[in-house]
Amino acid sequence: MTFVDILTESWISISGNKLRSFLTVLGIIIGVMAVVIMVAVGETVQKSISDQFSSLGTNTIVIRAGAARSGGVRTGNRQTLTITDAEQIKRLPDVMAITPAQMGNAQVIYGNKNWATMILGANPDYLTIQNIDIEHGTFFDDTAVKNASTYAIIGPDTATELGLPENPVGEIIRIQNMPFVVIGVMKARGDSAFGSQDDMIIIPVTTLKKRLQGSKFPDSVTMIALKIFPDADNNIVIEQITSLLRQRHRIKDGDEDDFQITDMKQIMETMDTVTGYLKLLLIAIAAVSLLVGSIGIMNMMLTSVAERTREIGIRKAIGARERVIIIQFLSESVMISFIGSMVGLVLGVGLSQGVGRFILGYNVPFSIWPVILSVTVAVVVGLSSGVMPAIKAAKLNPIDSLRYE
Amino acid sequence: MQNQTTIINMNKICKSFPIAVGGVQQVLFDITFTVQSGEFVAIMGPSGSGKSTCMNIVGALDSATSGTYELYGKDITTMSADDLATVRNEYIGFVFQNFNLLPKRTILDNVMLPLMYRGWVMNDRIRRAREMLKLVNLENFETYLPTQLSGGMKQRVAIARALAGNPKLILADEPTGSLDSKMGDEILKFFEKLNRGMGITIIMITHEFEIASFAKRLIHIYDGRITYDGKIPKNEEVLLKSEQRHKK
Repeated sequence: MTFVDILTESWISISGNKLRSFLTVLGIIIGVMAVVIMVAVGETVQKSISDQFSSLGTNTIVIRAGAARSGGVRTGNRQTLTITDAEQIKRLPDVMAITPAQMGNAQVIYGNKNWATMILGANPDYLTIQNIDIEHGTFFDDTAVKNASTYAIIGPDTATELGLPENPVGEIIRIQNMPFVVIGVMKARGDSAFGSQDDMIIIPVTTLKKRLQGSKFPDSVTMIALKIFPDADNNIVIEQITSLLRQRHRIKDGDEDDFQITDMKQIMETMDTVTGYLKLLLIAIAAVSLLVGSIGIMNMMLTSVAERTREIGIRKAIGARERVIIIQFLSESVMISFIGSMVGLVLGVGLSQGVGRFILGYNVPFSIWPVILSVTVAVVVGLSSGVMPAIKAAKLNPIDSLRYE
Repeated sequence: MQNQTTIINMNKICKSFPIAVGGVQQVLFDITFTVQSGEFVAIMGPSGSGKSTCMNIVGALDSATSGTYELYGKDITTMSADDLATVRNEYIGFVFQNFNLLPKRTILDNVMLPLMYRGWVMNDRIRRAREMLKLVNLENFETYLPTQLSGGMKQRVAIARALAGNPKLILADEPTGSLDSKMGDEILKFFEKLNRGMGITIIMITHEFEIASFAKRLIHIYDGRITYDGKIPKNEEVLLKSEQRHKK
């Protein structure tokens, strides 16, 4: 009996009961499709989060003012960091760029339009740290920071909301009634894990502290963000910063830090782990439907063996060995599983790519895993669900089978 | 006359079956006979006499509880199920009362089936199956399904399938049982033709003397024992007397 004979015999048997075979195949189609879609969803989520963190850079370190917790209460708003702290940290050899940062919300007016948005005070290094591209104009320089100039870099969404012209460089906007000159517009970046990056205004940190907020402590800031050189070790730099800041803030040994350092690399690794588990969970849920599908195949094959008892008897009487009967029934279950897996793969990939790209606008990553998974499922599910019915068929007594009505 | 070789050599074959209430029921007792090549033997007996059980053992579909059975000089008594399958495929062609054709396969497919298990390539299978269909005058029906044929035609397909593998022995179990007398006669005459013309050994199971008389030799089984083994008697009374002798 050749391989072609086996395939032919299997196809004739399967196509002999079209509706039942179709329903059985449907179980596998749904199962594989669900797994493929869930893998795509999981990978899209993972990639999306990863991309957002990558846009910040894994070599980015953020220092926030205040201890992480004090007596169980977060104390992150205390302004224990200073612009001078940032200047001192900049002297560390591995620091590539650093900016003190202070955030606030303000009403912004342009013409007869006003818009409430986030105002970020920073220095020119912020451009490097956040990988920001400028669409029009330029970013402010160190002199602007030193002079607390009233220059503003605005996000594209803010520009739209305020009804600014397409190239608004040189336009005057009023932030809390103080006139600012728009010297640059950022390129659109989309939403990030921390909200929209396109609806904000960046001004020199000194301008924010001194002019807008009129702070009594113009040197203090709530945050310092820095980027280290790619070949630098995050942990070593964090240790150096911790040591430096504790010394500068005169924190005694055993006392808690009055700042909190967040390492993007660690966050990204944690997020990777979390999304990895999420992906596994989704696949596990989808795998249940695959299991149900494989039970469907076994059920169909057992029914088929019962219905074809006489046929098995005839085949054995005219010389079919047990091994041949086993191969025939196994190939039927593998064929059902294979057809279901391939259709499920095509539908799953098609749906996830189609819906993701054209309806949701996500760039769904194409992975080889669904293909490997589908072929594996076809073989494993087909064999495992067919082996018991196949052995049952092979062990049938030819005389009893021939008498079967 | 061609040289005769012993095809079947059954020696003291006994067969018992376990029964539901416990214990066993013996259905064959010391069955001993030989069949030479080219013989046309009828195994006859009333219902429940054990003739079908005997045929199952002869056809390597079942094994004996005790005794020895040699087919073409090979002791098949202790063969495995797979080896018995090979023996059936190579040496025996079966013709059953209810035809036992695969209903969803064409006539040609049915005739090719034993050749597939023998490992023949497709072209050879088709050629041989067409030859056999021509032999039984069904060459124009190869694409038909069994359900589209009459009983006599189905039995001819079954004969074509039995002959396809060029077996030395045809085992026919009540081959006319599902046919009317005209079609039955047609099949029996075809068996005669195969036996005389092609030298094929035929063993036919029947419970009717008229049918058995188409053969050249008759083995009568009664209550699991051979009560008569010889030429076809002139009438059935000889067999009935042999049964009476056994009862005593």
